[in-house]
Amino acid sequence: MTEPDIVEIPARLDAVAQLADHLNASCANAGVAPQAAIDLELALVEAANNIILHGYAGRSDGTIRLAVRQGHGVVELDLTDLGIPMEDGQMTMCRPFSLEAESGRGIQIIQSCIDVIDYHRNAGINCLSLKKFFDPSTPTGNPVPG
Amino acid sequence: MTIITLDGDLAIIKVTAARLDAAAGPAFKADIQAQLNGRAKRVLLDMGDVSFMDSTGLGVLVSLLKMLGKDGALAVAGAQPSVRRLFELTRLDTVFSLTNSVDSARAVLGD
Repeated sequence: MTEPDIVEIPARLDAVAQLADHLNASCANAGVAPQAAIDLELALVEAANNIILHGYAGRSDGTIRLAVRQGHGVVELDLTDLGIPMEDGQMTMCRPFSLEAESGRGIQIIQSCIDVIDYHRNAGINCLSLKKFFDPSTPTGNPVPG
Repeated sequence: MTIITLDGDLAIIKVTAARLDAAAGPAFKADIQAQLNGRAKRVLLDMGDVSFMDSTGLGVLVSLLKMLGKDGALAVAGAQPSVRRLFELTRLDTVFSLTNSVDSARAVLGD
């Protein structure tokens, strides 16, 4: 894996695009498959939104740090924040699809886009790790199924 | 953020924002509600300029569809790959008509 490529933003919804820009630039430089890059951005934005809205409960004085690591056929994202902890199992529990809901799809989207999700908290710091695999050997580099 | 044209009961909404996300969503929703104000039963959403949409933006589209009621119709034109992927992941590609062009969307809406 590469050394982490790091960016930090204030915990505001209008700053989340900076995380996406950072991720997209990293993926473009590393030649990540386009479909995998799309899934990563979708998951990253939903995770960051959740940190802002729930972890910091709308406070704007917090920060979110994103570290991106690139490997052969894999991208790892580490999101860290100082907000309130996530409930146990929240990121991995099964959630039913709702076609009528106007909100609440964030975790479902993360689960659908990401292959390995890990959350832990240490010394008051939340760390959400998202890992996405993709096949780097084909020209389009289609995501590894499953 | 939007340019809305009314043609009878058809509203054509051109979304000019590049990102339809949690930051832009509330203003987008307020904009549509204020401009439509019950004046359309069919909506053509031209999203060709939108490079990214998150679940908040998608939620606005769901609320728009509900606003149109069971006799209403909504078609999305020009969804870019990331936007289309979001519809697919959430199964909402089975609810919203996704087309490649405004002309195709018009045809879907019976225009």
